[in-house]
Amino acid sequence: MSEDKKTLLELKKLKKYFPVRRGVYIKAIEDVSFSITEGEKFGVVGESGCGKSTLGRVILQLYPQTSGACIYYGRTFDEMCPKYFAKEIAKLPQYQKKADEYFKKSLEIDKKADVVRIEIDALSARGSDKEVKKEAQLAKKLSTLEFRSKELKKDASRQLREGSRTVGSLILCKDLPAVQELFSKAQKETVISSEKIHKYRDLERHYEESRVAGNPDENIKKEMEDITVQIKEHVAAAKAFRQEAWDTYHGKDILPITERCLDPEYQKKLDGNYETGINLGKLTKPEMRELRREMQMIFQDPAASLDPRQSVGKSIEEVYKINTDYSAQLRKEKTMDLLEKVGLKREHYYSYPHALSGGQKQRVGIARAIALDTKFIVLDESVSALDVSVQAQILQLLNELSDEKELTYFFITHDLGVVKHFCDRILVMYLGNLCEIADSKVLFHNTLHPYTQSLLASVPRLTLNQEHSTEFVLEGDVPSAMNPPKGCPFHTRCSKCMDICKKEKPPIIEKEPGHFVACHLYSQE
Amino acid sequence: MGKVLEVKDLVTTFRIDKKEYEVLRGVSFDLNENETLCMVGESGCGKSVTTLSVMGLLPNNGRIVSGSIKLNGQELTTMSPKELNTLRGKQMGMIFQEPMTALNPLLTIGRQMTESLMLHKGMSKKEATETAISYLEKVGIANPEERLKQYPFQLSGGLRQRIMIAMVMSVQPSLLIADEPTTALDVTIQKQVLVLLNKLKKDVSTGVLFITHDLSVVAEIADRVIVLYSGRKVEEGTIEQIFAKPQHPYTVGLMNAVPNVDLDEFDIQPIPGTFPNITEDIGGCRFHPRCPYATERCRKEVPAELETEPGHFVYCHKVEEEQSK
Ligand SMILES: Nc1ncnc2c1ncn2[C@@H]1O[C@H](COP(=O)(O)OP(=O)(O)OP(=O)(O)O)[C@@H](O)[C@H]1O
Ligand code: SF4
Ligand code: SF4
Ligand SMILES: [Mg+2]
Repeated sequence: MSEDKKTLLELKKLKKYFPVRRGVYIKAIEDVSFSITEGEKFGVVGESGCGKSTLGRVILQLYPQTSGACIYYGRTFDEMCPKYFAKEIAKLPQYQKKADEYFKKSLEIDKKADVVRIEIDALSARGSDKEVKKEAQLAKKLSTLEFRSKELKKDASRQLREGSRTVGSLILCKDLPAVQELFSKAQKETVISSEKIHKYRDLERHYEESRVAGNPDENIKKEMEDITVQIKEHVAAAKAFRQEAWDTYHGKDILPITERCLDPEYQKKLDGNYETGINLGKLTKPEMRELRREMQMIFQDPAASLDPRQSVGKSIEEVYKINTDYSAQLRKEKTMDLLEKVGLKREHYYSYPHALSGGQKQRVGIARAIALDTKFIVLDESVSALDVSVQAQILQLLNELSDEKELTYFFITHDLGVVKHFCDRILVMYLGNLCEIADSKVLFHNTLHPYTQSLLASVPRLTLNQEHSTEFVLEGDVPSAMNPPKGCPFHTRCSKCMDICKKEKPPIIEKEPGHFVACHLYSQE
Repeated sequence: MGKVLEVKDLVTTFRIDKKEYEVLRGVSFDLNENETLCMVGESGCGKSVTTLSVMGLLPNNGRIVSGSIKLNGQELTTMSPKELNTLRGKQMGMIFQEPMTALNPLLTIGRQMTESLMLHKGMSKKEATETAISYLEKVGIANPEERLKQYPFQLSGGLRQRIMIAMVMSVQPSLLIADEPTTALDVTIQKQVLVLLNKLKKDVSTGVLFITHDLSVVAEIADRVIVLYSGRKVEEGTIEQIFAKPQHPYTVGLMNAVPNVDLDEFDIQPIPGTFPNITEDIGGCRFHPRCPYATERCRKEVPAELETEPGHFVYCHKVEEEQSK
C-alpha cells in the first residue's frame, strides 16, 4: 500500500489488435507490461510499424485496448468516482457475509456428496444389473453436487475478490466494521477535498478575471492559498485513515471464510486487487474527458494538428473553451501567457499557422498540451520533423517545462541519439513486443537484446573513421504484423537465433535490477 | 580525377507575389568523379533548389539569373529544355526521399527498368532485362526475376528505395543526385541503403551529390562537405576538416545541436533564433541575427571566401580576423 517511487501509469498485459477481416488481425501490441514513474521521461524506440504510436494512443484511450489494462495513478479511484466508492464501502459486510454463506452452503453440499460417495462405494462392491443402474444414477447425482459445490466456492471467491478491490485482504478481517468505518472516514475526506478542488477552480477563475481586468483581488488570492492548504490536509487525512486501517488490521484476525483465506499467497493476491489507480479502459466518456485535463498528446506533424483557418490564439483558446468556464478576456490573457511560456511572442496570438515555421508550430502544439493541469504527455515523434537546431530548442523547452510543471513524458521516437540524451528510461519494441527496458545509460552500455544491438549498430555516427562497417547490418524488412513469426518475433532476422527461438516466445527476465529483456539467450542461464 | 560537375556563382530566384527573391546567392562548388559530396543545411537553406537548378527542373516561378553549371564540361544553363532532357536521362541519375514519386505506379518494376535502359543505352530488350537483373542483384534483392513482375505498391519502403537505386545506377550516370534518400527510412534500412550507395559508387565510378540535413549521415558517406545557410555556402572542406575542425559558427552550432549517441554526457545546445525566410531582408552575413559573435561589420559586409588550409573554405569575419592576427 505504501510505495516510495510513485508510479503514475501501469500497463498490464496490454494488447491491441486491429481487425482486418474475419479472423485476421494486425497484432499491433502484444501483452506489453511496464510502469512509468511520476516525473520521468520515458522513451519508446523501434522501427516503423513496431507499435509505438499505437501504444501511446491506447494509453490515452484514443483507441480502445483489445485486452489488458492501463492503470493511471495520477488520481485515485475514490477521487474520480466518489459515489461508486462510497457504495462499495457500504457493501463490504455484504461481500463478506455472502462469501461466508456461499462457502458454508458448498460445505453442506460437500457433505451430501460424501454420503453419495459412500453409497456408491458400497454398491460397487457387489454388482447386479439393478445396482449398476443405481450406480449410474448416483454418479450423476454426485457430479451435480460436485458441480454445485464448485460453483458456490467460486461465488464465494468472487465476493471476496469484489470486496478486495476496495480494501485488499482486509476484506477477510474479523473486525470488518472497524475497517469499514476507517475507509468511510477516508472517503469522506476525499469527497471534501474534491469539492474543494472545484471551489479552488472557481476562485482561480475569479482571481484571474480580476487580474486581467487590472486589479487583482488579493482576498481571493488569500482564500485560494487557504484552500490549497485545506486540500492537502484532507488528502493527507484520507491517506492517514486508510493507513491506520492497514496498520491495525492487515494480516490480523483473519476469518477462515474459505479454505484459502489463511494462505498468505491468497492474501497477497487480494491485496493486489486493491485498486488505488484508475483503470482507464473502464472510464465512461465524460470521466475520460475530465481526465484529458491532465493527459495530453503532442503529434509529429505540427501543421496537421492545427486548423489553417484558425489563428494560433483561437486554436489554443479552444482548450479553455471546452474545459473551463473562463470568460473570453481571461481565455485570451491565459493564452498569451502560454505563448510566452513556450517561447513565442504575445503577437503570435493573431498569426495563422502558415506564417509559422515548423518549430514555432510545434511550440503552439506544446502550448495546447500544457494549457490545463497537465501531468502526462504522449509525444509522438514530436521533434522528428524538425531541423537539428530547432529540435534542440524544442527539447530544451520540454526539459524546462517538465522540471517546472513536474510533467511525465511518454516520448516516442525512432532517433536513438535523441532518446539517449532526453529520456531517463527506454523501452525498445519490435513487432508490438517488448524487447528490452532499461535506464538510458544502462541500455547503451550494457545492451542485452540482439535487436537493440543491431539497432544501435545501424545508427549513423557523427564520429569519423568507422569504416562503414557492414557487420551488424540487419537483413530484410520487419515481418508483417498480421502474421508475426512464431516464437521470438525477432528470430527471422536475429544472428544469434537458436532452435528454441523458433518455437517458444522468450519470457521477460529482469537481468539486473530494473533492466528487463525478452530473449532466450538470457532465459536459459 | 575528372570533374563531373562545376557550379559557379549560381544565383537562382523565386517569384513570390510578383517580387523576385534570391534563394541561391552565388553558390559555387565542384564535384569529382568517384566522389561523394554532401550538401548539408536546414530546411529552406537552398539544398533542393541547388539540385533542381542543376537538373533544370525548377518550378515555373523559379529561374537561374546568373552563374554557370557545367556537367562534364558542357554548359547546362544555356541548353534548351529538350537537350537537357536527353542529357538528364543519360548522364544524371536522381534518387529522392520518397521513391514512390519517381516510380510509375501503373507499370511493373521490370518495364520501368528496361525501358530506361533501352532508351538511354540503346540496349535490346534482352540485354536490358539482363542488366536490370544484375543490378537488382547488386542491391541485394533476392529473386530479381520475380521482383521485375511486381508493381511499386507491392513493395516496402526500403525495397522501393533499393530498386530506385538499382534503376538509376544501371544507366551508369556520371552524376548521381540523391536528395535526402534515407530520411524516410528506418535506421536499419537506412544503413542498408548507405552501405549500398558506397559500394555502387565505386562500381560505376559516379560522382554523387548527396543532400541531407542529418550530420551523422554525412559522417557515414561523404568525402567532402559543403554547409549551406540561407542560400549561401558558409563552409566547405573534406569530411575530416569539417568534422575535426569546424570553423564557421553555424557549422559549430549544428554539430553541437545533434544528440550524439556515442557520447555519455550531452548538453542540449540549440542555436538560438529561427531560420530566416527567403523573403527576409538580412544584410551582411545572413547568419548574424543568430550568431553569438556578430559585430557591426557582420551586419553590413558579406564575408569573403577564406581558405584556412588547402581545400578548407570558410566565409566568416570572425575566422578571418582571428587568422590575420
Ligand atoms: N488505425 C489502424 N488501423 C489498422 N491498423 C493500424 C492502425 N494504426 C496502426 N495500425 C497498424 O498497427 C501496427 C503498429 O503501428 P504504429 O502506428 O503503432 O507503429 P509505429 O511504431 O508508430 O510506426 P512509425 O514509426 O511508422 O510511426 C502497424 O502494422 C500498423 O499498420
Ligand atoms: S530469443 Fe533468440 S531469436 Fe529472439 S532475440 Fe533472443 S536469440 Fe534472437
Ligand atoms: S560573419 Fe559574423 S555573423 Fe557571420 S558567422 Fe561570422 S561572426 Fe557570425
Ligand atoms: Mg508512429
